[in-house]
Amino acid sequence: MRIRTFLIVVLSAALVFSFFSCGKKETGPIKIGVLLPLTGPQAKFGEMEKNSFELAREKINTAGGIDGRNLEFVYEDDTGKPDVGRSAMEKLISVNKVPMITGGYSSSVTFAAAAVAQQNRVPFLVCTGSVDKITQPEDFNLTTEDGDKFYIYRLNPPVSEYASGLEGLLAEVVKPKSVFILHENTTFGTKGAAAFKKSAEKLGIEVKGMESYSSGAVDFKPLLLNAKKTKPEMMYMVSYVMDAALLMKQARELNYKPNLFVGAGAGYTMPAFKENAGKASDRVLSATLWHQTLPIKGAKEYFEEYVAKYGGDGPDYHGAEAYAAATVVADVLKRAKGDYSSENLKKMLDQTDMMTVFGPVKFTAYGKKIHQNKMDTYVVQWQNGELKLIWPKELANAYFEYPINWSKIWAE
Amino acid sequence: MDLFLQTLVSGLLIGGLYAIIGIGMTLIMGVLGIINLAHGQILMVAMYITWVLWQYAGIDPYLSIFLTIPIVFVFAEGLSKYLLHPLIEKESILPENQVLMTVGIGMVLVELARAIFTSDYRSVQTSYTDQSIHISNISLHVPLVIAFIIAIILTVGLFWMLIRTDLGRSIRATAQDKEAALLMGISATKITILTYGLGSALDAAAGSLLLPVYYLFPDVGPIFTVKAFVITILGGLGSTVGAIAGGLVLGIAETFGATYISMGYRDAVGLVIFLLVLVFFPGGLKRLTKI
Repeated sequence: MRIRTFLIVVLSAALVFSFFSCGKKETGPIKIGVLLPLTGPQAKFGEMEKNSFELAREKINTAGGIDGRNLEFVYEDDTGKPDVGRSAMEKLISVNKVPMITGGYSSSVTFAAAAVAQQNRVPFLVCTGSVDKITQPEDFNLTTEDGDKFYIYRLNPPVSEYASGLEGLLAEVVKPKSVFILHENTTFGTKGAAAFKKSAEKLGIEVKGMESYSSGAVDFKPLLLNAKKTKPEMMYMVSYVMDAALLMKQARELNYKPNLFVGAGAGYTMPAFKENAGKASDRVLSATLWHQTLPIKGAKEYFEEYVAKYGGDGPDYHGAEAYAAATVVADVLKRAKGDYSSENLKKMLDQTDMMTVFGPVKFTAYGKKIHQNKMDTYVVQWQNGELKLIWPKELANAYFEYPINWSKIWAE
Repeated sequence: MDLFLQTLVSGLLIGGLYAIIGIGMTLIMGVLGIINLAHGQILMVAMYITWVLWQYAGIDPYLSIFLTIPIVFVFAEGLSKYLLHPLIEKESILPENQVLMTVGIGMVLVELARAIFTSDYRSVQTSYTDQSIHISNISLHVPLVIAFIIAIILTVGLFWMLIRTDLGRSIRATAQDKEAALLMGISATKITILTYGLGSALDAAAGSLLLPVYYLFPDVGPIFTVKAFVITILGGLGSTVGAIAGGLVLGIAETFGATYISMGYRDAVGLVIFLLVLVFFPGGLKRLTKI
């Protein structure tokens, strides 16, 4: 009997509470979920993206918000782990009851969390997670015809296309004969390396070897020595930021000098890479998805506003992705005209066709993917502590010196 | 052959650092009877102290050992006295709860570090951080060599202390049999609190030695808590000699695994050895020695 009384009291309290919370929904802020790694080893990336989301939100709200209501982002921390990402996503959907979610940093976490969003039929606008399968319906037991049942959208290009800009540079200028590929062993690294292997074969570059490592290692010398043994003309590396810094530092210690060191975005374009690798970061190339000097409206303003507000060296493409995601969210909400249900927001996402600081955003279908934004990628190089855009040639803001005299650069 | 030698040397150098992290944990294990799951986080605190001293006072990371060790020692004494010891005193509380306490301490330390220093990655750049000595075809990374030498000095000092001094004898006595030690007039309470500080101080030294070769962020701790845990089990719980052997074995095995199998399996190699030891030498490497 006691238990029953207890249950009645609790349940009726819950009922009253839910009525109470329903009543004041109309004028409050519109809440959108954001999934990011705010703690854990990837927190640095998460911080840059969160800052960018906040920057965009303030701008949107000062400009009048969405139909007079403020936009609010509810952040959940995925700590960089897929299982935590899943439960963070569940919390956003069932506790915070947000109608739409954005963010998603690492590939493994994003894919795991995307499955939750798909299951609950809540649209998920991915802004960084890059493994190809995130926008491939077949990995969610759907077909490419099932666009109306597929709730995942992606603003950034998939990892297999990261190096598309780089391919041009390699084919037209560098023309290397061989490459050694190093990659970190989670989904992002493995898929990125496999994609580059394919591009290399297409360009007639011999792949001398491909080795993986687990992120956070202290000593990369065994790996570099194995690479050195095969004498490749260039190194292609897929790494997060501090692994990238240690790899370059230790390559310099071992006096290992292939013609080119090329990073696959991620760690290699972060200011933290330059700060921690020091001299060893100079003249390293990287594929990138964005650069502040690109002729995109608002790109430079965003970069400057970010630096003014948060200081430091300013954002790289990760920040731009987050800022762009926030503007897409605002645009979608504005077009939703008061109906902020998940289904309606999904419809609005389908119709998205707009310009952001990251480039044009329109979700299209090609190959096995649907709801995927197609974009160009670029090549950047660290030159005396600054990240310069060197490819494609017509957009470049710096001259690409080749061959690179490593002895001179590392000795300085 | 060069590759083999280079691998062996790299493994040994890393192993030396692992050993000193492991000794700290094994000392605490021996006397307090708990696995200190905040070990890596205390290492992180020491690394931040080293970094701050280098960044703002320009003190060389290796010289800062003389400051980090006492600071962390006092800090860990405080943790031990006010947070851990009250739990150890009460016999009704299971040892698992004391271990949970160390987990809690670890989490608070990480979040405090994040609040103070943000999640930025930090590293120190000194004139010698990027230098290597080349002996024929083998390269020796200068900071790792210095770290290895300091680790040896600290270990020898610790052994001298444990074997020759009254304090050392009291620590060993408490580790072997707490009640007998009490009957012999040793204040087990004092020794327990002190040992946590001592173990953490060794950990702090390891932090200062590690910073020039690695990097630092608030979540750096867990990686090394796991390493220390593996070393402690490898060496046999509570055995200092075992911890040295365990550290070196882990360092060499990881490096060989990385060179000859795949760097992706580096951690797996360490853990496979860990499992093999658990299955075939349940007492750890200390069973092979008499100490």
